[in-house]
Amino acid sequence: MLQTLQLYRRLIGVQIRSQMQYRLSFFVEIAGTGLIALLEYASLALVFARFETLKGWTLGQVAFIFGLAELSFGVMDLFFSGFDPGYFGQFVRRGRFDQLLLRPINITLQVLGSKFMLRRIGKIAVGVGIVVSAVGMNPIDWTPLKVLLTGTVVVSQVAFFGGLFIIGATISFWTVESIEAINIFTYGGSMMISHPMHIFPTILRNFFTFIVPAIFLNYYPALYILELPDPFNMPAFAPFLAPLAGLWMLFMALVIWRFGIRHYQSTGT
Amino acid sequence: MRLFWELTKISFQRHLTYRAATVAGLVTNFFFGILRASIFVALYDLQTEVEGITLQGAITYAALGQALIGYLHMFSWFELMNTVYTGDIASDLLKPMNYFSFWLAQDVGRALVNFLLRGVTVMIGYAFLFDLYWPSGLTHISAIATSMVLSLLVSFSWRFLINLTSFWTPNALGILRFFFVLSWFFSGFLMPLRFYPDWVIRISYLLPFPHMMNTTMEVYLGVLQGPEIVLALLNQVLWIVGLVAAGQLVLRMGVRRLVILGG
Repeated sequence: MLQTLQLYRRLIGVQIRSQMQYRLSFFVEIAGTGLIALLEYASLALVFARFETLKGWTLGQVAFIFGLAELSFGVMDLFFSGFDPGYFGQFVRRGRFDQLLLRPINITLQVLGSKFMLRRIGKIAVGVGIVVSAVGMNPIDWTPLKVLLTGTVVVSQVAFFGGLFIIGATISFWTVESIEAINIFTYGGSMMISHPMHIFPTILRNFFTFIVPAIFLNYYPALYILELPDPFNMPAFAPFLAPLAGLWMLFMALVIWRFGIRHYQSTGT
Repeated sequence: MRLFWELTKISFQRHLTYRAATVAGLVTNFFFGILRASIFVALYDLQTEVEGITLQGAITYAALGQALIGYLHMFSWFELMNTVYTGDIASDLLKPMNYFSFWLAQDVGRALVNFLLRGVTVMIGYAFLFDLYWPSGLTHISAIATSMVLSLLVSFSWRFLINLTSFWTPNALGILRFFFVLSWFFSGFLMPLRFYPDWVIRISYLLPFPHMMNTTMEVYLGVLQGPEIVLALLNQVLWIVGLVAAGQLVLRMGVRRLVILGG
């Protein structure tokens, strides 16, 4: 176990050092990922003056879950970028995944260590900024439980998004060409989770409640922390299901991933 | 001119063969379009019209945006840059054809395939899900068509221009990505530009991006009327002239210092 950790640290160390080689392009890329996150948020925040609410939610309330999702997705992308379907798909297509399989080390660890997207720091920073400004905009009555829940939500969302990436990566074993459709899982899931769930059509919301339990990772914790009424009459413990939902997603993803590896056939290149 | 259409035809046929990518693109367009439409529905809530756009118009906006992405290809294009780094540009420059037209011809082929397979399909698909706004009248439809063609030309001449930065730097990827992020916001893809505060709108119109998408959308939705349409189209033409001229100038400067390593 200790050896595994050490190996992971080495793999990541190599990644970090190589990405820091070109300082200027490194900082440009950090600014770039930050800008994407900022502009996406701005596109929503700036129109609030004309609309006032997002189906009853104020900008501060939306910003709270939007920021948490940005922050968590950024942190996840740091650690799980080896599984990023866009990147991993190419990895498989070029046969580099076959090289990893030949090494006598756990394959999941190798993929985890194969990429560490340091430039996502830009996105994380913007996410933190949005959360901080959201806390300023909402008169939240902070209790120790609420603070703990907020932290738990971030960790759970990291696990959840990580799960989505792993599932996306597994799908690319079979359809190396349809990477764009996998974006529905990853970026689609993140777009859903950064908006209040009650704005989406029932069928979509049910999918993200009962099949992919995203609703417990943003919407319900936010309802509790911001003290908003629950429009769907879930049990009172629903806001606290976040860690379960996150771990469940990651666990299921690893099961699917193992299945994928067992049935993996090389592309032959 | 014949050479141009031959290249367009070849590119058209090449892009027709990417079937899996087309289907994947369509699925993605549908999903994200529904999310965007839901956000509009939630924003409008009880309002019926905001800044001259009705809720139906806003939903149509979300659908149109998804229908046009493939055709306009605004958010990523690195092909010219790649030929600079692989050295393939050497033989492209020797071809008996203007270098800009050489790429434009291929982009037109790509755009046609995406318009037919993705654009039209996306609009028909959304028509089943939502009550969309449809244009009527020959003048309106021809204005939309003209604006769409001009949009592609703005989009292409801009992409051509920024790809030329690869003549000066060994890693233009970051710079290009930066510009593509800007076009994502300022083209009006995320939100109709007129929903933003005035200062954002003013900044947008100092840039080429609104003329790639927002203008066509406003013409389509009938937000612009009569002389406003003519003015908007003229504005697009001006941007095309400016961007093409800038592209030719930068190209001439770049070619003079371009060193291609043999291999």
